[in-house]
Amino acid sequence: MGRKLQKIQPVWFVFFIFFLLLSCSKGDMGSALVVGVETNPTNLDPRLAVDIASLQVTDIVYNRLVKKDRHSNIVPDLAEKWEMPDDTTYVFHLRKGVKFHDGTPLTADDVKYTFDSIRDPSLKSPKRSSTSPIKEIRVIDKHTISFVLKRPFAPFLSNMIQGIVPMHIAKDKKNNLSRNPVGTGPYKLSKWEFDQKLELAANEDYFEGRPRLDRVVYKIIPDQTVRLLELEKGSVHLIQNGISPDVISRLEQNPKLKLIKETGVNYSYIGFNLEDSILKNKKVRHAIAHAINREDIIKNIQKGLAIPATGLLSPSHWAYEPKVRKFPYDPKKAKRLLDEAGYPDPDGDGPKPRFAIRYKTSQNQVRKRIAEVIQEQLIQVGIKVEMRSYEWGTFFSDIRSGNFQMYTLTWVGVTDPDIYYYIFYSGSVPPKGANRGRYSNKALDRLIEQGRYTLDLEKRKRIYSEIQKIIAEDSPYISLWYLKNVAVMRKELKGFELYPGEQFYSLKDVFFDNQEGR
Amino acid sequence: MVPVILGVYTIVFMIIHFIPGDPVDLILGETARPSDREFLRQELGLDKPVLDQYVSSMLRAARGDMGRSLHTNQPVLTTILKRVPATVELTIGAMIVAVLIALPLGIIAALKQYSYFDNGSMFFALLGISMPNFWLGPLLIILFSIKLGWFPVSGRGGIEYLILPAITLGTALAAILTRMIRSSLLEVKKEDYITFARAKGLREVLVIGKHALSNALIPVVTIMGLQFGALLSGSIITETIFSWPGIGRLTIQAIQTRDYPLVQGCVLVLALSYVLINFLTDLVYGFIDPRIRYE
Repeated sequence: MGRKLQKIQPVWFVFFIFFLLLSCSKGDMGSALVVGVETNPTNLDPRLAVDIASLQVTDIVYNRLVKKDRHSNIVPDLAEKWEMPDDTTYVFHLRKGVKFHDGTPLTADDVKYTFDSIRDPSLKSPKRSSTSPIKEIRVIDKHTISFVLKRPFAPFLSNMIQGIVPMHIAKDKKNNLSRNPVGTGPYKLSKWEFDQKLELAANEDYFEGRPRLDRVVYKIIPDQTVRLLELEKGSVHLIQNGISPDVISRLEQNPKLKLIKETGVNYSYIGFNLEDSILKNKKVRHAIAHAINREDIIKNIQKGLAIPATGLLSPSHWAYEPKVRKFPYDPKKAKRLLDEAGYPDPDGDGPKPRFAIRYKTSQNQVRKRIAEVIQEQLIQVGIKVEMRSYEWGTFFSDIRSGNFQMYTLTWVGVTDPDIYYYIFYSGSVPPKGANRGRYSNKALDRLIEQGRYTLDLEKRKRIYSEIQKIIAEDSPYISLWYLKNVAVMRKELKGFELYPGEQFYSLKDVFFDNQEGR
Repeated sequence: MVPVILGVYTIVFMIIHFIPGDPVDLILGETARPSDREFLRQELGLDKPVLDQYVSSMLRAARGDMGRSLHTNQPVLTTILKRVPATVELTIGAMIVAVLIALPLGIIAALKQYSYFDNGSMFFALLGISMPNFWLGPLLIILFSIKLGWFPVSGRGGIEYLILPAITLGTALAAILTRMIRSSLLEVKKEDYITFARAKGLREVLVIGKHALSNALIPVVTIMGLQFGALLSGSIITETIFSWPGIGRLTIQAIQTRDYPLVQGCVLVLALSYVLINFLTDLVYGFIDPRIRYE
């Protein structure tokens, strides 16, 4: 009997622990708008957040001084108007009656504190460099604040798209805005189960009116297939991007779902290392550009969810220049250019390539398939491509250190043309910027500097027109396409709008058609 | 136990510090200034020589302090402990599924050797081992969640959330255990004491259930113990498919973001639990088999 009890005990103990754990589990989520997202937000302090998952939460928890509308125009947010008494001064007039989620009124001191803290090295804000043009911030009165710049700086207003934090909370080191955000936005944080879901509740006192929905829940579902299955079941109501093009037609046929697609500003490209002995030759780069059939890839792999690109700025951008050198698919021209570049085909139609290049990409499945197609297209003109896909940390490290020949990536949220400074200015080689290809053109550098400090819009447009022409001619990048933003949602969901930079601003206006509050 | 933990900790430390990928780049992105990167590197202690970082992290770990996550700045131990219940729940659930499937299948297969049932069980065993989790999981979701609507698709909640992930994770183990129970029981059935038990006139249920099974399960318990440790650490695919907030997923995320302290902490906890479970398995072994006693 004693031995039997000894044998039984461990088993019962295991069952006891098991059911104890189950009893600690959470219940179901109740009614709310549930958004399926791929990754967990990491930081809800808008001064620190850089990843898309965190930004999509801070979009609706905080307001900014100004923001961009769906056409990338700067529009009022917390600042209802602003003026420039001179070329280096911006005066913002804040809305009255705006309150933080704890009921404290927003004042100009909060705005000053937000930007001062970003400028403070001890905060370690990745946005600190965007505040470098600021010489001084002055609070004029409770609802008026001025920014004095060191010199005229055209992209300055874009840098004011910054979530404003409450000074009285942020100043106290015991508070942690990264985990417990307090903003003025239409929603406020009510619950956060890390790696499972993040729940926001409506801000009853929101200055633009209470949102129509009581709650928004971001449900973290890493697997794309499962995310879509949740949407089909109805336990998720909205998914934005991160959808494989292959499943789009199936989703369109589902009577319970609807899709919206709009051309975005996300720019996909192939980047070259211009210090490479083969790729430093412009004719080689042009040849590669002519050898790639973009339309084919867009049709068969992207399933039409992209439009061919000619440069970093999309056609809807105010500074877009259509008259740049283009590289239509022309394998014969590609071969001729390679011959002229000093890389003849060693055996005519035989298997020997002219040269081999290593092409790096991430582990994104669509990018890998695109890389395979490009590999096949380039071998037709005699270029052997060795494709290498890496996990993100390794890939990012390689491209920043210049350890690559060719790579492919996408610039997300391209809105201000000042991005050229960041990507193509000769002094912006990592770690200072993102000139990963080590491109250098002094004439371009001068134009980029002019573009930063010219306030007149027409003049600025002309400058960036020249910049786009030079970049197209020099081809440090091959432009591939502008990706379309795609949102899939339950048919009863109304009011959702796509923003070019994937922002979730419109969540404050969404509602369910039958008002059943799912 | 201590040399094993020390060895695992050291190897993982070296690997994570020498693979490409800068955690400062991954935290700050590309917009930060070089001076800000250096500042953060110093704050996080990443500017020190690797050996200094190793020694200081070892000394802290010995005191129970695993440091803070580079990305979230939350204590590593707290972050990991929050995930432990989910991982243990999934592991126990998978074990229960495995045992509930394997025990009857293995016993009947052994009793009816070479029958259709036996062949069917072995086919199931082969299928169970061959089916990858990333295929089985979505299939179960499509059938039981979408078509039949019996279970939720993903996430953690009440027992209904556990069923599909537990089946996904437990199927391969069930296949292994089925074969083990069958072969072990077949061996034991031939023993003299089983013949003697039958000769005494005992009913077949008692012969098998009391005398044969208790001896046949000895090697099976060993396997279950080892598999329990493996399940604790190896359920990353299932956790990802079902959005299960376990340690496996946390470990992978930590590796992808080069969150050194969190990687170290996760590996340390997993190694400790593996060693502990092996130790407990040895003790249970002693309970089950009275021939085995430990000094």
